[in-house]
Amino acid sequence: MSTLYDEIQELRSLYPVSRSATLPALRLAQERHGWLSPEAFREVAAALDETPAYCMAVASFYDMYHLKPVGRHLVEVCTNISCALVGAQQVLEAFQDELGIHAGETTEDGEVTLRTVECAGGCGWGTVVAVDHRYRERLTAGDVRAIVEELRGS
Amino acid sequence: MAAEQFVVLAGAEAGSLTKLADYRAAGGFEALAKARTMEPAQVVQEILDSGLRGRGGAFFPTGRKASFLAQGTGKPTYLVVNADESEPGTFKDREIMFTVPHRLIEGCLITAHAIGCDKVFIYIRGEYLHEFEVIKAALEEVHGADMLGGVTIVLHRGAGAYICGEETALLESLEGKRGQPRTKPPFPAVAGLYASPSLINNVETIATVPKIIELGAKEYAKIGVPPDSSGTRVFSLSGNVANGGNYELPMGVTLRELIYDVGGGIPNGRQLKAVIPGGSSVPVLTADQIDVPLDATSMAEAGSMLGSGAIIVIDDRCCMVQLGLRVAQFYMHESCGKCTPCREGTRWMVQILESIEAGTAAQSDLDLLLDVCDRILGKCLCPLGDAAAMPVASYIAKFRAEFQEHLESGCPMHGESSLENVLAPVDQHTHDPVAQVPA
Amino acid sequence: MSAVEQAKVTVDGREVEVPKGTGLVETAAAAGIEIPVFCYEPRLGPAVGACRMCLVEVEGIPKLQAGCTLTAQDGMVVHTAQSSAKAAEGQNATLEFILVNHPLDCPVCDKGGECPLQDLTFKYGPGQTRMTFPKRTFDKPIPISPAIALDRERCILCYRCTRFSSDVAEDGQLVARNRGAQSLIATFEDESYRAPFSGNVIELCPVGALTSTQYRFEARPWEIQNVPTICGLCPVGCNISATTREGKVKRILSRNHPEVDQGWLCDKGRFAFPHLYAGDRIVDPLERVRRRGFGELSWDDALDRAEMLLRGAQGRIVTALSGSETLEHAYALGKLLRQGLGAHSAVLAEATSSALDAFRAPLSSIADAEIVVVVGVEEVADRAPIVELWIKQARRNGADVVRLAEPKLGEELEQRVSSSDRAVLIWSGRGGGGGARLAELAHRLGLDGKPGCAAFHLPATPNGRGVADAWAAAADGEEENPEPIGLLIVSGDEAASDPAVRALAEQAEHVLAITMFQGLAVGWADLVLPGTSYLERDGSFFNLEGRVQRLRRTVIPPVPDELAWIAKLAERFGVELSPHASTVFAELSQRLYGGMSFSDIGERASLPDRAPYSTPEPALVAPLPPAAAAPGEHFLGTLKLRRYRPLFSGSAVERVPELQFQRPAAVIELAIDDAERRQIASGETVSVRSNGTVLALRASINGALAAGTVRIAEEHAADLHRDVEVVKA
Repeated sequence: MSTLYDEIQELRSLYPVSRSATLPALRLAQERHGWLSPEAFREVAAALDETPAYCMAVASFYDMYHLKPVGRHLVEVCTNISCALVGAQQVLEAFQDELGIHAGETTEDGEVTLRTVECAGGCGWGTVVAVDHRYRERLTAGDVRAIVEELRGS
Repeated sequence: MAAEQFVVLAGAEAGSLTKLADYRAAGGFEALAKARTMEPAQVVQEILDSGLRGRGGAFFPTGRKASFLAQGTGKPTYLVVNADESEPGTFKDREIMFTVPHRLIEGCLITAHAIGCDKVFIYIRGEYLHEFEVIKAALEEVHGADMLGGVTIVLHRGAGAYICGEETALLESLEGKRGQPRTKPPFPAVAGLYASPSLINNVETIATVPKIIELGAKEYAKIGVPPDSSGTRVFSLSGNVANGGNYELPMGVTLRELIYDVGGGIPNGRQLKAVIPGGSSVPVLTADQIDVPLDATSMAEAGSMLGSGAIIVIDDRCCMVQLGLRVAQFYMHESCGKCTPCREGTRWMVQILESIEAGTAAQSDLDLLLDVCDRILGKCLCPLGDAAAMPVASYIAKFRAEFQEHLESGCPMHGESSLENVLAPVDQHTHDPVAQVPA
Repeated sequence: MSAVEQAKVTVDGREVEVPKGTGLVETAAAAGIEIPVFCYEPRLGPAVGACRMCLVEVEGIPKLQAGCTLTAQDGMVVHTAQSSAKAAEGQNATLEFILVNHPLDCPVCDKGGECPLQDLTFKYGPGQTRMTFPKRTFDKPIPISPAIALDRERCILCYRCTRFSSDVAEDGQLVARNRGAQSLIATFEDESYRAPFSGNVIELCPVGALTSTQYRFEARPWEIQNVPTICGLCPVGCNISATTREGKVKRILSRNHPEVDQGWLCDKGRFAFPHLYAGDRIVDPLERVRRRGFGELSWDDALDRAEMLLRGAQGRIVTALSGSETLEHAYALGKLLRQGLGAHSAVLAEATSSALDAFRAPLSSIADAEIVVVVGVEEVADRAPIVELWIKQARRNGADVVRLAEPKLGEELEQRVSSSDRAVLIWSGRGGGGGARLAELAHRLGLDGKPGCAAFHLPATPNGRGVADAWAAAADGEEENPEPIGLLIVSGDEAASDPAVRALAEQAEHVLAITMFQGLAVGWADLVLPGTSYLERDGSFFNLEGRVQRLRRTVIPPVPDELAWIAKLAERFGVELSPHASTVFAELSQRLYGGMSFSDIGERASLPDRAPYSTPEPALVAPLPPAAAAPGEHFLGTLKLRRYRPLFSGSAVERVPELQFQRPAAVIELAIDDAERRQIASGETVSVRSNGTVLALRASINGALAAGTVRIAEEHAADLHRDVEVVKA
């Protein structure tokens, strides 16, 4: 299995200016470490020939990078206009009830992080929930229990 | 609508065309072959003559944009495809990508030929994981069939930032930095990606190019409402409507036709209250304005814009103050923070709207909100500030009575609004323990 | 020479003609009109148009434009807030938005009174707030380093500081975090901003967000005086202002000489001034009493003692100069000793030469080069920090920068340099003969006669060449090397700290030292006279460009100026010497600088023209032989030790609490291969031995280091010899 360093070097070679590899490199590091810890930033920085501060500055700009530990599963409920109009808040509250946490938090066993997100891009098929980055659409509050059970079973 | 009217989604009437073989069977890549026999300048002329305009939201004539590319700089020319679709209400690029991925690729290759470029970047929003996989597979097929013709296409994933849909912010992000827009000039056509001449186009725009070559500019130009709104658009329909989805229709179709004939009308026995006709960044229209045709001129006359082509249908269960708040929260969350009016103004807008909704605001607060919107308008580094201020100002203008009632006696929906207590990302725990920013 | 195309621009009805492409802010200024700005700072690169303070109306364009991003075009008609209600409204709006989350800290904020936000709010902003909601708050202030405090609530996110860190100093340590209204300025994991130029963000910050911890609550702008002078800590001689209050130096600011420093300072020059007030500063003359004791004596007694020592040496006097004396001090000492006592021998830590006068150019010419070759193993940032910033700028402007350990360019590079019109050579290391070797190379490559080409030698002392020239000009007479040395005169802290000088002192019968601090010569000198700092002297320095720059006394020292007592002593030996720097300068200037006077130097000194090239002559002041190198036994597998003097070292830096964190750790730098062969990893403790000395140091791998060599900072190298053995501890 190749190291993160090697994978990042490969990424760098895809671009005319290697700094372009920053976003994909951060994604790789996050996948390996689970979240972008200070150690992860130092590793990415060394592989990109940037400073850890630079990597942190870039990562903190984007919603998909986690600068705090997250659960093994990520549940993201869209609560933007179109989904809100068709009951996204009820879907969110159902998740909060089933998981026993508020949006923005992680279950105590470290399994699931729940959060709201802005427009996910499935507007006509709302409510859209991304479970580990896979879209579930046309969800209602009633669909939530089954999803949570699915997550707990995996 | 007649099948031959399908342009971008042509061939996918029965189902997605994700296999190269199927796409070719439907006539795919013939346009590319034809284009490769044409002079690059000819191809640009075709695109110009077709009247094609950018489908991302700016609606700028595509051929003209291509003609701005600086020549003889000694630097390579780049084509950058903006697949960062994040405008609330919009999901058409997503549908195009998972339905006809090869058409997007074909469009890239034709355009690359037209502008003399051999490196194409597709910047796809990070959340579209499935679509990324579909495009990646399609690219591998095209590469395997040796059809790239010396052009490299790099598929680059974003990481969650609406502002990266703005073309210069996209370039910054693609260069590996924080996605903050650049000041223009210099324009990307002169100094874009890696300070080289670059053409940035939306997915739908590029996906239209193969059909333009196939039909010929003149034929394409006849569709829709020439000369300013030629062609079809893939309209995204969502909200309180029976059949939400993406529908490719010629421009000029009215909102009424889209909402009722195609969209199946308002479910649950509710009444239409308002329509956002072009994504959250455009002014709202009231229920009595739905006979407006969806073309640039008519929309402008009605006081709004075609925008991203996303139609959000709002029924009478929705409190317009809450809608304004939710929209302001979106822009506050997505503001990049570079320029003062947007960074500070969107947050201030949220604070004022919260107080109006909570019933703690005074008349002067409503006047203040309008003034804040006015102070943001036309003063920011990029269109995001305007995209926050204009819609909210339009909700106040069109639903003034509702806002007034909030000031006098609180929210008239008494907790029954469809947007009641909707939690926005700005209000949940931030991922950064350092910044405790009360909204 | 073709004329630059001009553009006629009308600003608020006033017409002004400027070179086409001039920034609009400067164009308006030329018309006498202010366009207010925050984020605009040309030294940081192209304008970003972020803060929106500079909104103006341009005829023909419906939307307000960020004036800082525009350049003068012929026929442009611009309306600022003065003549456009729309622009005034826009600027007012910007200020209102900035103030919406800005804390009402003025009464407790150091920036108050010299704050652009205050000033612009008065001129263009709203008089009252309409903000009734909670502002964003942060813990404050937080130290981003011992020298710099960050107050995130005051920050207006103009990004000047982050742009400096990434685009000028290129250290990438101070960054913006998060997005939108949650944006804030930070370092990585609250680590200190540890870089040689960090302090510049204090001056760049237009509000009180980044402030100096040294200056916190020290003074208000109406209580201070800013005295213009020159920094005397390195051979660049950055133009500075010393802020003084009630007779004490409170801070150092840049005075911006566009050709020398461009408005930047290094942290040593900026933060080292507290050394003036160190607890161990010598304020009275001291004489050795019995074997190890020291007693104070009066100045009269001290001068008597000095006279005795001088006469007693019977001409066998050697003067060890620091190279940090002013021209006037060096000349005065030279006159006293050479004319009065026939003692012509002087030593300096380095060789000096006039050979590079043929390639003279302002440091700013580095930024315009297309090829820069740096020769030598010493870091430029350790010797002449600002030069490193010029080199970085050159690279950003598209120049190729080549760094070589030895002056062996190879055929291709030599070709490149000799065919270029904008080539710069820089010598940063030992053995340069004061620039003689570089001059020979530059001459061979044909750089003379090309105005865009230049060559710079980076000396190890701030005023070495000036001191050597002034000493030489003080009299005519041949140098002898007296043996044994009857009296060694040690002039200055640097000489007193030099092991080579100490070695000479061991051989001398008597020693007279002139130093600022207790720890240096007290203990082995017979008589110690208190010295002054560059901040306390009137005088002049000769910088590495060849520019004579004027020092001004910023505060009255607690001890007499050297010129005062040298003049008194000189009298006793029949030598006429004025205690006034201007008079002494006039005299030495006759012999060296064509009779230039103090007033000719001006606020921002100019660089004289190039001299014609002539083959380098041996220096008139002998370079000190380096401290004893190891003869005898060699261990197998030894590595060559390169001692280096880090920027943050020296007697001044040692006495400044805020600079201790910048000092080098006890580290030995190894080349990649050498470390691998010894199975040493970065961070491990290793044992470093040479001929009796054994040290424990932490290993650090330096990819740029040549195999077979190691680097250790002077202060951690103890008395290691040149050949060392390095093993895992």
